Amino acid sequence: MSGALVQILDGNTFVVSDDRGDMEASLTDPTGLFSFDTRFLSRWVLTIDGQRLNSLSTDDVHYFETRFFLVPGTGTVYVDSKLSVIRRRAVGNGFQEQLTILNHDEEPVELTVRIDAGCDFADLFEVKDALQKKGTYDIRIENGGLVLGYQRETFIRATRISSSVAGSVDKNGITFEPRIEPHGAWTTTLDVVTVLPGENYVRRKQGMNGSRAASMEKGLHRWLADAPRVECDWDSLRTTYRRSLVDLAALRFSPPIAGRHSLPAAGLPWFMTMFGRDSIFTSLQALPFTPELAATTLQALGSWQGTRVDDFRDEDPGRILHEMRYGELPAFEERPHSPYFGTADATPLYVVLLDEYERWTGDTHLVRALEREARAALNWIDEYADLLGNGYIAYSRRNQETGLENQCWKDSWDSISYRDGRLPGFPRATCELQGYAYDAKMRGARLAREIWKDPEFADRLEREAADLKRRFNRDFWVADGKYFALALDENGDQVDALSSNIGHLLWSGIVDKSKAKAIAQHLLGPRLFSGWGVRTLAEGEGRYNPIGYHVGTVWPFDTSFIAWGLRRYGFKDEAAQIAAGILDAAECFGGRLPEAFGGYERSVTRYPVQYPTACSPQAWSTGAPLLLLRTMLGLQPIDDHLIVDPALPVGIGHLEVLDIPGRWGRVDAFGRGRVDVETSRAIRPQLGAAPRVARNGRTRQHA
Amino acid sequence: MTIGANVCSSVGAVRANLSTEHAGTTLPDATTEFFESLAVRGHEPLLGNARGTLRVELADGTRTERWLVSVDRGDVAVSHRNGKADCTVRTDRDVFDGLARGEVNAVAAFLRGAIAVQGDSQFLVLFQRLFPSPDDAASTQR
Repeated sequence: MSGALVQILDGNTFVVSDDRGDMEASLTDPTGLFSFDTRFLSRWVLTIDGQRLNSLSTDDVHYFETRFFLVPGTGTVYVDSKLSVIRRRAVGNGFQEQLTILNHDEEPVELTVRIDAGCDFADLFEVKDALQKKGTYDIRIENGGLVLGYQRETFIRATRISSSVAGSVDKNGITFEPRIEPHGAWTTTLDVVTVLPGENYVRRKQGMNGSRAASMEKGLHRWLADAPRVECDWDSLRTTYRRSLVDLAALRFSPPIAGRHSLPAAGLPWFMTMFGRDSIFTSLQALPFTPELAATTLQALGSWQGTRVDDFRDEDPGRILHEMRYGELPAFEERPHSPYFGTADATPLYVVLLDEYERWTGDTHLVRALEREARAALNWIDEYADLLGNGYIAYSRRNQETGLENQCWKDSWDSISYRDGRLPGFPRATCELQGYAYDAKMRGARLAREIWKDPEFADRLEREAADLKRRFNRDFWVADGKYFALALDENGDQVDALSSNIGHLLWSGIVDKSKAKAIAQHLLGPRLFSGWGVRTLAEGEGRYNPIGYHVGTVWPFDTSFIAWGLRRYGFKDEAAQIAAGILDAAECFGGRLPEAFGGYERSVTRYPVQYPTACSPQAWSTGAPLLLLRTMLGLQPIDDHLIVDPALPVGIGHLEVLDIPGRWGRVDAFGRGRVDVETSRAIRPQLGAAPRVARNGRTRQHA
Repeated sequence: MTIGANVCSSVGAVRANLSTEHAGTTLPDATTEFFESLAVRGHEPLLGNARGTLRVELADGTRTERWLVSVDRGDVAVSHRNGKADCTVRTDRDVFDGLARGEVNAVAAFLRGAIAVQGDSQFLVLFQRLFPSPDDAASTQR
């Protein structure tokens, strides 16, 4: 392996290679060309005269295109600079690689250029779990190209490799023997095409040539041009915003089998698929900027909504899916992801997104079109999710073998614990699920009354919501700690750890006003707030670990919803403070927030310590700065107006978001802060810990 | 509404057609029962957002059986006509029998190539809503 992994992608097709452009995957090594959760190329190695190449530099032109600048030689001694090699690779329907060799010498050269190619056709799950293949391989030489094939019963996948310059093809690759004149160049274009059966398996994109890359580039420019502009005297925030938009563009995913538009996939590259929870949360974060993502998310998840009881897939009528996968293991039902429904939050959140989407866009047409789906989702809460019969959403997987144990966003095995570190049994009713259910009922009631014209249903939902809120504030309240328990266990007893989940409760509105202040104090207190963001589990709890996945790290997405929650209950200063913490962290990461970072105290590490993870960017981390722009400006759609009520962290003098789309057309929002002029740069490190807020703001309606 | 009237007449036609075709050959099987009950329903709320025509082609030995399902916002008409379709689904008859009994999952079968889809594949996703649950299948076997 030489150097870092380079990833390029288009939809769910992506390439992971080393910095020379080579791929040498083993069953467990995640390099290669992947499409539809299957590896289509596991070996792709370039040699010249039998020698591997060395990387001078790589240039990520776009998220779908990379250039590798290489020279032959061992790298230890800088021997032969008489040749340069450029591999220009763009992902599309497979990938296309333009290979160019430049001869800088005054003599002609005759070279043996070799591409080794091979494929194991591993399913993503096999790459993760190191499983063995059950089908058979077939390698053919056809029309001067190489066809790598795999078949298991009716499951057929193939990779076609061809070149624009004829080479000599054998079962392990292609060899070229060019002669290059003095100061001349030789080039060939290699096409690697993924082949799936059924002409409409997916709308295959036409052509893997320059025009495709050009049209993708045009699409990216249009995407950026359509989004609101952000003006701010803090350069880093502008950088972070632009990074978020570009990453969100890369994360757009048009679900194959259904749908024409894009929704946000969960993460790049391993989670380029529909995830109920991730797609909904990201759509919520991005609503003021790219509301079309929410529309597609609602339509696609609605089409795939559960309609039956299926234990293998943990499916129920009305349930919103957790994850869809397209590879061999789901195809043969060795994994349940066709799709898998094991999530307890996506279903209420679906209704929350539908209402929030309408508040921003005024798109009552979609709300009417999805009435059946929204009612089915609301029905799921009471009919199928109340596993303990105590009026709370709880989860317990029915697929004991390959289903998910924890069906909330903190889905790792040890995320839900008592103070002393013990793990509860199942079913588990985590607190934030009850908040989402409350919010879904309240928002569902609004939609029922105003758009579906069913006031009786609206009344019923509001009665149920009020009852849920009353019971919740009684049953989940940990009196000696003044916060809400993380969950109720299988006996209905409190799982009493202090966690970031209480912030989601503020966002949902389920918290009694009288209890909100205590919750805000915990969120900003030393046990939960690290100075960068809110820890998933409070310092001092039995399982607290600053680098534990869901038991101490800070998740930017989590903190962004907590900021929204603080705003909802009027804690503007506190919301500004944690927004500043996360945006400072974004500055440290060059504008791209990771999925999670360490929960270490800010004053101790001075730098947010990134949690090692295979996936970057992650959609809901990408969405976090967008939501924080909303919370800092206090953007709130009310009827046909956008209310602006800014509370900027100290150090931000002015913040403008221009051309915010919505039912009002396009408007601009402004906020002014208090800047301490002489220390405006020096105070950056303290931003996350020193709240001071501005109160000036306004909107400007476009003519 | 005129749509309703049309649906009623086409349902009647299908029922007549089905009973003649299968009289004296075999007992109504899972596939036939599925389409027959769909035709009788006339309106299927689970397809309330769907509009278009689906053709189902079932290979059974050398013979191909064709079904045409038209959906207009949940109003369903079923026939054996050979009309134009927005989506064509091709599979073996025993695979479709499995779908109709709730034993086979349509999406998984599609992913492994046991069902081929041409045209707007969204129909397959929507259509899957109409098949019974695996649990229903298990309980009828018991």
